Amino acid sequence: MSSDPLVRLEGVTKRFGDTVALDNLTLDIAQGEFVTFLGPSGCGKSTTLRILGGFEQPSSGRVLLRGDDVTKRPPEKRNVNMVFQDYALFPHMTVRQNIGFGLELKGMGKSEIARRQDEIMSFLELTAYGDRYPAQLSGGQRQRVALARALAPDPALLLLDEPLGALDAKLRGQVQQELKSIQRRTNKTFFFVTHDQEEALTMSDRIVVMNKGKVEQDGTPEELYFHPASRFVAEFIGETNLLTGELRGTDGNAVVMDWFGTTLRGHAPGGVPQAGESITASVRLERLGFHAERPATANAVQGRVVGKTFLGSRMALDLMVEEANGATLKAYVDADTGQSVGEAPVWIGWDESSMAVLRD
Amino acid sequence: MTRHNRILLSCVYWAFVAYVFVPLILMVMMGFKDSKFIGFPIKSWTLDWYTGVFADTETLAAFGYSVAIAVLSTVISVIVGTWIAVLLEGRKFWGRAVIFGMTVLPALIPGIISAIAFRIYARYLGIEPGMGAIVWSHAVHNVPFVVLVVMARLSTLPKSQIEAARDLGADPLIAFLRITFPYLVPAIMGASIFCLLLSFDDFVRSFFLGGYEPTLPVLIFAKLKSGMSPEINAIATVALVLTAVIGVWAERFTRRMNKDS
Repeated sequence: MSSDPLVRLEGVTKRFGDTVALDNLTLDIAQGEFVTFLGPSGCGKSTTLRILGGFEQPSSGRVLLRGDDVTKRPPEKRNVNMVFQDYALFPHMTVRQNIGFGLELKGMGKSEIARRQDEIMSFLELTAYGDRYPAQLSGGQRQRVALARALAPDPALLLLDEPLGALDAKLRGQVQQELKSIQRRTNKTFFFVTHDQEEALTMSDRIVVMNKGKVEQDGTPEELYFHPASRFVAEFIGETNLLTGELRGTDGNAVVMDWFGTTLRGHAPGGVPQAGESITASVRLERLGFHAERPATANAVQGRVVGKTFLGSRMALDLMVEEANGATLKAYVDADTGQSVGEAPVWIGWDESSMAVLRD
Repeated sequence: MTRHNRILLSCVYWAFVAYVFVPLILMVMMGFKDSKFIGFPIKSWTLDWYTGVFADTETLAAFGYSVAIAVLSTVISVIVGTWIAVLLEGRKFWGRAVIFGMTVLPALIPGIISAIAFRIYARYLGIEPGMGAIVWSHAVHNVPFVVLVVMARLSTLPKSQIEAARDLGADPLIAFLRITFPYLVPAIMGASIFCLLLSFDDFVRSFFLGGYEPTLPVLIFAKLKSGMSPEINAIATVALVLTAVIGVWAERFTRRMNKDS
């Protein structure tokens, strides 16, 4: 059984009346992974989480936990715990009692419960707050108590439902780092749900981008950022230049496209589209390089700077490419380069691997 | 607000206060009058009427009887009412509106009508007039208040609380006992006090369904028939003070509980 993944979803579909919340989702999650389900509201990410937690039953398909079919098992009979969006701390129990609740129901002895409570509270720096009630804690502290309570019973899988949503921006960044480090130190499998792409990029080992109940792309943060498979992913994660042109064909691994008369070479992480179709490619803003002479990169065009925005550590440039019918590109450069670029046309170059031809 | 309006408003307010409290104050005063006749002038004061009340076994028995009925009917109302509230709140099923309407109906029926109906029905069932019949009618009358208060509280319980309990290993029953019930305690306490006072205060049902033994309001009524006497004022004053103390304490208690959670 050791070859089984920790979690396996097999063709999981969930319908609410006429709406399909989750459409035939098949996915494996390995032990120790920090997996983030990312997407806009209504994309199916929360439904997936609730199915894993046992709060919803799939309309069809199976959920396997370490090879066991748990599809029909209620939440209390799964070795899975959840950190709720509103934390759902029990208001009439102290921090210590909140943490002990799951341990008690697991049938642990009193002394063992106390030992585990102490251990988890010192691990999450909550020892000083053991006798406080949730109403007496700050937002960040409550979040840690929710995490402690969910981790205490030693679940095989920890579900996190947008747990940072209620925190202010400054605290959020700090808690992101904390969560990631807790995940590393405990070597637990985290299943994190969010609509915040920055959060997803910062913390995850693996991101599953969801849209309309289906997986748009599944990969590491770097893969998703630099090699988006679809237009949805390219636009949802970070900022990007979208170039619309026509497909010319393939050349080895390269996809050749025509962009208003200029031939460009890219790669197709989402598969090569059909020939002759109108296609879109994505190039990240910081992947555009500036040169005085025509560079040796796979792609090179001439453009003129028509706008500059100072952003502190870097500068955003708006470029007009005359040969491409006056299309504009956006680029990030360091502030020095940004200052030195004048009115005169410059060469803009980028690699084949920097341009992802998208599946629509 | 103009000055005129302010003066007018405070006049109306104090007129209302006087309307509520003057009769009560008069009643309390007459209980201390050293004369058999109620009315002014009061020439001398006495506590005899009070000592009389506390020495009068008939009054004490009626008081005890009323308290017993109040406690029993409240226990029944709270159990049944909480149960109905938990079944109705947050669920959608066919006939929910009908069940809810029927649950609330007893609170809306005039006391005299329901008392007569109970009397007829009790006879039909072969239930003797007396404590059982009174408790039964009080419980039925009070259930709607429990249902409404508990449902209101229940509707503010976040769904995630129960899910969190289930997630941590509680089956539905344990989740109810450990999470839902503690959350409902302030509402149940408030509803209980209200039921106790409603039952203690009830005359019509107790009168129609009572046997030979009178409840306190029925006893006072009986005594009134033989003429007003400051003794009645003394009984009424004791009842007034007791209910007011319980009411104020309960109000503060539920407010504190609500603040804690």
